[in-house]
Amino acid sequence: MRFDNIIIGGGLSGLIAAVVSQRAGKKTAIISAGQSALHFWSGSFEFLGNIDGNMVIDHPLMEAERLPDSHPYKKIGIPHTAELLSKVAPLLQEAGIKVKGSLERNHYRLTPMGFLKPAWLTLDEYFMADHPSQIEGKKYAIVNIAGYIDFYPNFLRNGLDKHGASCTISAIDIPQLAPLRKSTTEMRATNMSRFLRNDAVDSLAKEINMASRGADEAIVPAVLGMFSDEPVRRLRNQIDRPVNFIATTPASVPGVRCQLSLRDYFIRLGGTFIPGDTVKKGVFDGQRLKRVYTVNFGDMPIEADNFVICTGSFFGHGLIANIDRIYEPIFGLDLNDTGDRTKWYDKDFFSPQPYMGIGVTTDSEFRPSLNGHTIENLYATGALLAGFNALKEGSGAGITLATALHAASKICS
Amino acid sequence: MDLQQQNISDNNFESCIKCTICTVYCPVTAVNPDYPGPKQAGPDGERYRLKRPFFYDEALKYCLNCKRCEVACPNNVKIGDIIQAARIKYSSHKPSLRDTMLANTDFMGSMATAMAPIVNFTLGLKPVKLILDKVMKIDDHRTFPKYSSEKFETWFRKEAAEKQEGYARKVSYFHGCYVNYNFPQLGKDLVKVLNALGIGVRLLDGEKCCGVAKIANRCIDEATRDGRQNLKAIREAVERGDDVVATSSTCCFTLRDEYPHLLKLDNHDVRDHIELATRLIYRLIDNGDVKIVFRNDYHKRVAYHVPCHMEKLGWTIYSTSLLKMIPGLEFIHLDSHCCGIAGTYGFKKENYEYSQGIGEPLFRQIKESGCDFVACDCETCKWQIEMSAGVSVLNPVSVLADAIDVEKTMLANSSPS
Amino acid sequence: MENTPRKEYDVIIIGGGATGAGTARDCALRGLKTILAERLDFTAGATGRNHGLLHSGARYAHTDPESASECIKENIILKRIARHCVEETGGLFVTLPEDDLNYQDAFVNDCFKAGIHVDVLDPKEAVKIEPAVNPDIIGAVKVPDGSIDPFRLTTANVLDARMHGADIITYHEVIGFEKSGNSITGVRLRNHHNGEETVIHGKVTINAAGIWGHHIAKLAGVNINMYPAKGALLIFGHRVNNMVVNRCRKPGDADILVPADTISIIGTTSTRIPFDEIDHMEVTPEEVDLLLREGEKLSPALAYTRVLRAYAGVRPLVADDSDPTGRSISRGIVCLDHAKRDGLEGFITITGGKLITYRLMAEEATNLACKKLNIDKPCETAEIPLPGSEPDSKDEERRAHIIELSTEQKAAEGRHGSWTGKIESRSDSDDALVCECEQVSVAEVNYAINELHVHNLINLRRRTRLGMGTCQGELCACRGAGLLDKHDNCSDRSLKDLASFMEERWHGMYPVCWGETLCEVQFTSWLYQGVIGLGDSHL
Repeated sequence: MRFDNIIIGGGLSGLIAAVVSQRAGKKTAIISAGQSALHFWSGSFEFLGNIDGNMVIDHPLMEAERLPDSHPYKKIGIPHTAELLSKVAPLLQEAGIKVKGSLERNHYRLTPMGFLKPAWLTLDEYFMADHPSQIEGKKYAIVNIAGYIDFYPNFLRNGLDKHGASCTISAIDIPQLAPLRKSTTEMRATNMSRFLRNDAVDSLAKEINMASRGADEAIVPAVLGMFSDEPVRRLRNQIDRPVNFIATTPASVPGVRCQLSLRDYFIRLGGTFIPGDTVKKGVFDGQRLKRVYTVNFGDMPIEADNFVICTGSFFGHGLIANIDRIYEPIFGLDLNDTGDRTKWYDKDFFSPQPYMGIGVTTDSEFRPSLNGHTIENLYATGALLAGFNALKEGSGAGITLATALHAASKICS
Repeated sequence: MDLQQQNISDNNFESCIKCTICTVYCPVTAVNPDYPGPKQAGPDGERYRLKRPFFYDEALKYCLNCKRCEVACPNNVKIGDIIQAARIKYSSHKPSLRDTMLANTDFMGSMATAMAPIVNFTLGLKPVKLILDKVMKIDDHRTFPKYSSEKFETWFRKEAAEKQEGYARKVSYFHGCYVNYNFPQLGKDLVKVLNALGIGVRLLDGEKCCGVAKIANRCIDEATRDGRQNLKAIREAVERGDDVVATSSTCCFTLRDEYPHLLKLDNHDVRDHIELATRLIYRLIDNGDVKIVFRNDYHKRVAYHVPCHMEKLGWTIYSTSLLKMIPGLEFIHLDSHCCGIAGTYGFKKENYEYSQGIGEPLFRQIKESGCDFVACDCETCKWQIEMSAGVSVLNPVSVLADAIDVEKTMLANSSPS
Repeated sequence: MENTPRKEYDVIIIGGGATGAGTARDCALRGLKTILAERLDFTAGATGRNHGLLHSGARYAHTDPESASECIKENIILKRIARHCVEETGGLFVTLPEDDLNYQDAFVNDCFKAGIHVDVLDPKEAVKIEPAVNPDIIGAVKVPDGSIDPFRLTTANVLDARMHGADIITYHEVIGFEKSGNSITGVRLRNHHNGEETVIHGKVTINAAGIWGHHIAKLAGVNINMYPAKGALLIFGHRVNNMVVNRCRKPGDADILVPADTISIIGTTSTRIPFDEIDHMEVTPEEVDLLLREGEKLSPALAYTRVLRAYAGVRPLVADDSDPTGRSISRGIVCLDHAKRDGLEGFITITGGKLITYRLMAEEATNLACKKLNIDKPCETAEIPLPGSEPDSKDEERRAHIIELSTEQKAAEGRHGSWTGKIESRSDSDDALVCECEQVSVAEVNYAINELHVHNLINLRRRTRLGMGTCQGELCACRGAGLLDKHDNCSDRSLKDLASFMEERWHGMYPVCWGETLCEVQFTSWLYQGVIGLGDSHL
């Protein structure tokens, strides 16, 4: 079996690279081992939220110039990074995902615990503020679904109150959720979204309208619209004031929607999505990767001109840590790890964790190497890469997307 | 001794990091609140069952064994296997007469084939359906698959066996109960296509039911006995140089993966020799070993449905790639979504409503697709879709058999390449 | 639930471990006006940081026959009075190929002398009854070991003490003593939550503070020669073994593997540490390696099993008063009457011993207190079952319907025994699971908050197992924080508590941070620091 480009990894990075590749007329396949971290999406993408421990709001691009030269943004070049990332919102829009925000200035998202955090793009239906002062004096009605424990009205109120808002809290119930309540474990956001369709949305709207009487805006958990944003629109149309969604703890309903929308868009473009399969090994010809073997395809390899590896870090199993070493399990790519496990962590949970910076080392074009020799037609992206702490920087999505788009431009040329 | 190797304990349930992704893709959780969901039924419950078996929850019977949780799991946890293994190990409920009957597809089949017209007539009768419904708890909405009056094996021995010896290259065919008792045409289609490609077909010596229905209904001893016999037959075939092909994704999946995982039958020596017919055909074409020529008057709009076990096998691409090769075939890829039947699951009265609820989005998409028919590698999906979406369903091999230009294909493969 | 302490007591007990709680119970049962003050939370010291092994005494039969016979007696008593805290798993003493099989003969003989019933098994038979054991063993002896949940045990003692009139206060640290002449008349306490200081008076003060008792004694003006001995242990993600597996040799490192509730624990090591480390113990990489290396010899499956966390406890080793050099260590229980020993009236120290002898220690300390108070009432703690372990007339009925209970109801039964009925579920929402790994429902959390001295998530974890499972709080900590906040209504404090809880969980995870544990913690970090936005500013 042959493709022009093979993308290993079906998360945000892989999907974006694949969509661009397929759209450029390249026969593209994604090999995806299980679902991705998009399932825990906060509803926002970050470009750069923190530098040197300080929150970045104004001029994130200018601030990014201060990053070390080894940082992916700097390797791509900040102007070029900005150019690549400017394609993201339109691309998401084509896939059916509407986002708001800009690279010129960060806005604030409201976290499930009520904190304001800098963000670059936020899902259209989500709460966002350009400035905390926008919150001052506002009356919010925080409306939860009764008995739903992955949404935290008290913490949200606590956060909003700090910025001078006043909040009411209520819990509503609708009969359509009664069957789900019987389950002790499955009243999760994603399961609720399966029930919250059609007339259930109308019932929900009625209750939210009652509960938010007198408020300027309603705030509700993001439990609507796993397969499309139709229920979200339906709800918004029936609420007589602005209604904003807040991320819940996993799994994230809009995260699943984002994942499926991008996947479906890729398939609509004619791409091949291979779910639930793991690439086991590659066969090289000199410094070129010729073909890969997967668990399910067995003895039938898949060939391609170019490969992109977007398998993520430890969570995505792009990296595996044993007691005595960290390795990249498919090809055994070169990493920046020393094999000393006491160097992987900091004893303070909230301190920058060294393991976050461990990953695949690459040349300036993000091509990894094997025993010191660069592989000419393999590109690495996102969380698999070494040398940055995306969590502390608030740069995870930005790096993922920029490196994916960068790789896509290489494999399409 | 080694310090801490990668976690490879049985069923690796500990690799679960509690991300809850499996619950998003479980078709049962979405419709049946009595089912604890794959995370709770699988890795979470397993920890407790290991503590004390009395933590076993009979609600695990609602698991369809579709394995979609496994396909979705980012940590490669064998969630479906954990649940099915727990049912086998801990459930104290004995299979009922109904379950035993549904499980014994081969015994029932051989009885019914002999009296096919009567059985088909009888099973179609309203009073009989009512008795099945009330007494046996087999839902009266169900249409039983028709039994054929002549078994595939009988046809093959009479009509085809002799010819097959003329082909230099041969494969052995695991036809399964469905082809043998209900729908010999699919087997005939496979013989037609493979023969046109220059490949002979043989049967296994003493094929038994693959056991999927017996496993689902916890007739484990019988399933294991049949499994041993099948592996013996497969080993003989492999020893004489044949690969073994199946036309049913579920039979194929069971022989390859459920045998070692659930029945603890070691098949590692022959596992790689068992494949779907579409994978074999695709490989031969892709390698340039054979050529296939299609009729130029074939025009169909075909929607492909991915059966759950096909998704798990990861071989969808072989069937769909073959279909896409047919020039006159307009291809529609249906969303990969469980149809709800899951073999005998949907036949049971207590599951009927859930079964239909699970399949509802798929039926809707099929109806809206305007397809001439649905292509699908699984026979039980076929029953469910035909009953619920009112569209006929063909195995991709049958589609090939219809679309192929036999003479030209034979010609193309007979000339030295 | 926590009363404002009165000013006058018969007995003040310092320390909320099993010994302190057991002493409070014993005192209360004997009609003494009792208060227990704990610096932090129940079981925060050595009680909550050991194997949870219900010793049969076999471990000590060879080296310390007196302890061995104490153990087997208490073993039998606890099986009766603390049924819901005990699991009668049985235990094995196995001889590895590298060990001397002659030791087994001496061991069996010593067990017999100590009154411990043991059976010598064919090694093959041992592997059959405990498949996790190393199949290469050359000898095996079956002993009546079991496991005991120290959290439940302590809570049950606290509940019973309270029911019999004792006052129990947590987060109150003793910062000084009230004295009159050569007599201790009370203690000065600081409330950790608000910094307030109070004085309470008591005729007798019992120092049951484990290794911290060294410091308490100093505050009282007497000296006890104590040495902190650190013992490190590892927790594995599920039950690898269903029987206790001991190595049949002289007690050494990592020679006991205990099945404890949903997990297995290997331990321990033994290292003397300086006093300034007792509140900040860390398990070193060398200790982890040693525990794994030796543990795998007992059960090879450990090489492939997820390590959830590492932790260490401090044994209070007490120098024998009879040895002026202070070098020889007292074995077994040490009950010091400081009036006799140091001329200090009204002060008793109870220390040494083991988790399994906590009741006997409490009995000895209470006997002494009663003697000082001229009260002549016999100890009943060996006869009266603990709350949760009462014989229940509904037992039969419960067993009959237990098959229909949901997993979390069964799990709650395991945790609260006959008191499970006090967990009140008023709606479907109350049945929802907060901690999915350990099957803790909203109703159980609310019960713990209302009845079991829960101020924070760590308390909640010790009372219910919330956050003790596979994901170490990833899924449940924020849910727990949300529920606690509903009671507390102080979100800033709840968020701070959540951050501390994550920090506390991490403390046990980083020593074993590879494999799935690293995946888990990376996921947890993304969730808590990324999605939720919790940071060190909340600590």
